[in-house]
Amino acid sequence: MGYLRGFAVTFRQIFQRPVTTPYLIGKGPKAPKPERLHGRHVLNRYEDGMEKCIGCELCAGVCPARCIYVRGADNPPTDPVSPGERYGYVYEINYLRCIHCDLCVEACPTEAITETKLFEFSFTSRADAIYTKDELLVDEAGMPKHLPWEDWRPGEEEFTSGWVRATAPAGDASYEGRVGWSGELGFGVRAPEGDQESRDASGSAGRAS
Amino acid sequence: MADETSTQVTGELTITLNGTQVDARKGELLIAAAERHGVYIPHFCYHPRMRPVGMCRMCIVEVDTGRGPTLQPSCMLECAEGMVVDTESDVTSKAQDGILEFLLINHPLDCPVCDKGGECPLQDQTMAYGPGESRFVESKRHHEKPIPISDLVLLDRERCILCDRCTRFAKEVAGDPLIHFINRGNHTEVNTFPDEPFASYFSGNTVQICPVGALTATPYRFKARPWDLEQVESTCQTCSVGCRVAVQSSRNEVLRYVGVDSDPVNWGWLCDKGRFAFESVNGDERLGEPLVRTGGELRPARWSEAIASAAEVLQSTLTAHGPEAIGVIGGARLTNEAAYAWAKLAKGVLGTDNVDAQLGDGLPAEVVLGLPSATIDEVCAPGGTVIVLGPDTKEELPVLFLRLRHAVLNDGVRLIEIAPTATGLSAIATASLIHHPGETAEVARALVGQPGLGTDAGGVNSAALEVARAAIAAGGPVRVVLGRASVAESVSWTVEAASILSSIPDTSFLMALRRGNVRGAIDLGLSPGLLPGRVTLDGGRANLSGLWPTVPATPGMDTTAMLTAAAEGHLRTLVLVGADPLADFPDRDLARRALAGVETIIATDTYLTGSSSLAGVVLPAAGFAEVSGTTTNLEGRVSVLSQRVTPPGTARSDWAIASDLARALGVDLGFASVEDILTEISSAAPSHAGLADALASSSDTDGVVVPLSGPTPADALLSFTVPTSDALLPRHSYSLRLVVGRKLYDEGTAVHHSPAMTNLPVGGALRLNRYDFDRLGVAEGDLVRVIAPALTIEAPVVVDPAVPRGSAGAWFNQDGLCAADLIDITAPLTVLQVESLNGQGAGS
Ligand code: SF4
Ligand code: SF4
Ligand code: SF4
Ligand code: SF4
Ligand code: FES
Repeated sequence: MGYLRGFAVTFRQIFQRPVTTPYLIGKGPKAPKPERLHGRHVLNRYEDGMEKCIGCELCAGVCPARCIYVRGADNPPTDPVSPGERYGYVYEINYLRCIHCDLCVEACPTEAITETKLFEFSFTSRADAIYTKDELLVDEAGMPKHLPWEDWRPGEEEFTSGWVRATAPAGDASYEGRVGWSGELGFGVRAPEGDQESRDASGSAGRAS
Repeated sequence: MADETSTQVTGELTITLNGTQVDARKGELLIAAAERHGVYIPHFCYHPRMRPVGMCRMCIVEVDTGRGPTLQPSCMLECAEGMVVDTESDVTSKAQDGILEFLLINHPLDCPVCDKGGECPLQDQTMAYGPGESRFVESKRHHEKPIPISDLVLLDRERCILCDRCTRFAKEVAGDPLIHFINRGNHTEVNTFPDEPFASYFSGNTVQICPVGALTATPYRFKARPWDLEQVESTCQTCSVGCRVAVQSSRNEVLRYVGVDSDPVNWGWLCDKGRFAFESVNGDERLGEPLVRTGGELRPARWSEAIASAAEVLQSTLTAHGPEAIGVIGGARLTNEAAYAWAKLAKGVLGTDNVDAQLGDGLPAEVVLGLPSATIDEVCAPGGTVIVLGPDTKEELPVLFLRLRHAVLNDGVRLIEIAPTATGLSAIATASLIHHPGETAEVARALVGQPGLGTDAGGVNSAALEVARAAIAAGGPVRVVLGRASVAESVSWTVEAASILSSIPDTSFLMALRRGNVRGAIDLGLSPGLLPGRVTLDGGRANLSGLWPTVPATPGMDTTAMLTAAAEGHLRTLVLVGADPLADFPDRDLARRALAGVETIIATDTYLTGSSSLAGVVLPAAGFAEVSGTTTNLEGRVSVLSQRVTPPGTARSDWAIASDLARALGVDLGFASVEDILTEISSAAPSHAGLADALASSSDTDGVVVPLSGPTPADALLSFTVPTSDALLPRHSYSLRLVVGRKLYDEGTAVHHSPAMTNLPVGGALRLNRYDFDRLGVAEGDLVRVIAPALTIEAPVVVDPAVPRGSAGAWFNQDGLCAADLIDITAPLTVLQVESLNGQGAGS
């Protein structure tokens, strides 16, 4: 009869308040996103329109899911794609494999690859799941491409920002509250995250306002 | 590894290395001794195959030679008795730290875009021994980012750490001192002379040994990062030297070859053609499906269809005309296993002995197997005499050239060259006997003849002959590198010369045959009159009973005879196994008539060539890096070939094609895998007895030299007869004797289908001595009328001091002037007349 004790656990939990948050409540607005949510990637540009990616394959090398495929090529001297000798000629991320760990973002020496908070995408074919360079690259204004199978709505431009870096360089606490990288990430520039104390005080840790 | 480059290493002594007593050899460098005992000392400029220079100071360690510990560069320090060495002391670490900080002062740290990133000694050693941070905040030295120093190599001077490896290689190893340090102090940089590119056949090696990413190779640049690459060790089959290479690929595409240090063969070096020929593995035009001629055109077909139609052709030829009406040409591109399978198909199933892996440009197989053989190491052994009677090794067997060069310059080997034109070795030869074409045997006779006769022979003056005779008389063994110096003359003189030289006591021969696995093909029976295992038809018949359905009764024809018979309509079916007689046979007119004269051609190849596009059935073959097996180099060394990528389309390995063809003819060759074939070779071929076990148990990857039972006893050598040489026409002042050799870069498949190399062939021109050139009254590069016995053409003419008076040079298989058009294979020697287009003849 020992199994009844197991059922007792289940039975007790039925009456607890669920800790899971409903994501879409009915047809209403989406639930607020955590500040550090890891969504799909974008490939960023510099303000002059040059691509940041230099095709170094460090992101591909570090990716634990091995879902990135990069190939570099010589920059055409007359019409360079990125600053320097080399640019990312092929860039693909397979979202059937990506675990959104952001190690690629950490590895990138030029902040070319970042993750947005856009995660509402559901594709019906393998080919759609593999985002090509064309699909990942932001436009001249820094706005990612809105792909047909992605759900984003007016006013959600903010979530296209790549500002998701969770850790300061090498976890150094003295970097807290400082933007450890350039200011023009993704679409628009945002103020840095507050430091630990101020976040604790406002009780807003983990929630975007 | 012991230092091979400089001083003789002799005697034993004891040193203390990090607290343990270890042995060292007298004259051994400390860094090498430490490495031998498993203690790695970081270094940049030291390279075991080159002289130490002490440029980088990275190898500094604390050494006490009795006067208290001091910091000394271990690459410049020879071990001495009682030396106390500490490679891990605080002082050593501080010194290493400091050296790295200095090296990084001007280093751009563009690791993310640098091809070396991920396999870079500077990265690795900075991580392991360097400071975490630099104290230098000043701006770095700047140079124009990569500048081309040759067609194949780019130099980024910002990344260079001035280790002197590339420059030392160019000067010491390759003998092409075209890159140097220029300027002084902080402005020191590596560069070429103005307008003189680093056009060396060995430039790729500098990219491999550069300890940073300062030198990059255009064919590999940005193609992948080291962590993408998967690799297997294999053997280069671009020529017959058989250098060991690591074949590296990513995503099923071969992207790079890296030289592997094989002590008996290539010492880590590769030639650029071998190194960059990987591009032709991936070529877009690779054959990926069988082609069958229907309605006059080659159309894609299924394998079953193609095999059936090839088998049908063979069967009907057999029924109507017998096996003698079938000829099989080629096989030097194959693995040993595929060569054996084809030999079994051709000789054992079809029953024809008209089989030849050489295209009329090599040596008779009986000569190859009939002379005592020497390995590369034996040829290069200190103290001997080497006679090079053959092609320009620098052009045809580049890494053999490096070994010979090293032997002459560092090991006191005396080199005698017998050649119709000056070669890459002439400058360092003890005696360079440049003779009249066709008079090789005269020179050989004079060489072994009585000294002091004071007569000239074959255009070589008596003084030079005297020097050469003295070199041989100085003692030590005599090693002959034997090959065809010119395909425009009959092979009989070369054979005669070889047999004359073989009368010198303690003489052995290294066969300078050119194509990849030509030696393996000959050994395994792809030659008329021979069966696998270096035996004649009669000698090997008993061996094969039970294994082979049949064995031909009488010796068949070689390639020249087959093509002649084909042109006369006696040969009905020609099988081309990776051979392109139109491009490679010395007499193009005969090749053309032969291919037109046969009823059907069946070809297996990796690319559609001039010859295979005339075929009735073309079977796509898997090529290098796509098949596994073994290959044999020019010394008879069998080493392992490995597969790294899959062949394009449905292309299959040559042994499988042979097997399928046999099955369609109703015979099972009995092979299910490469291993099966190797096992059968080990039992069927006397010279290869025990090969499979020897390869499996060998501890290194250098391969094994067959036969395994030591040097071939003289009685096992094949006998060959010296053909009676044709009488030469007397030399006339108005005629020029043609000399046709090859350049490294020609219009062959490897170069033609490798985009990085397609610009490198020099192009064809008639090359004349200044004296003959001036008589023409034309300018360099002008068109002249060239009158060969069979045809008259117009071709550009240039001055070449390497060509002696009275001779004319032309390169084989080049655009512009194709030497094969001029040669008439039936004539013992091709004699030309040259006239300027404004009516003036050379000397007339
Ligand atoms: S987020 Fe992680 S799993 Fe996804 S691509 Fe980047 S490294 Fe790979
Ligand atoms: S995204 Fe960054 S890490 Fe990845 S290839 Fe481009 S530059 Fe390199
Ligand atoms: S280019 Fe490379 S090999 Fe040559 S000196 Fe500089 S660092 Fe050394
Ligand atoms: S010398 Fe011959 S075997 Fe060696 S790398 Fe060159 S082509 Fe290949
Ligand atoms: S390795 Fe000894 S000084 Fe460079």
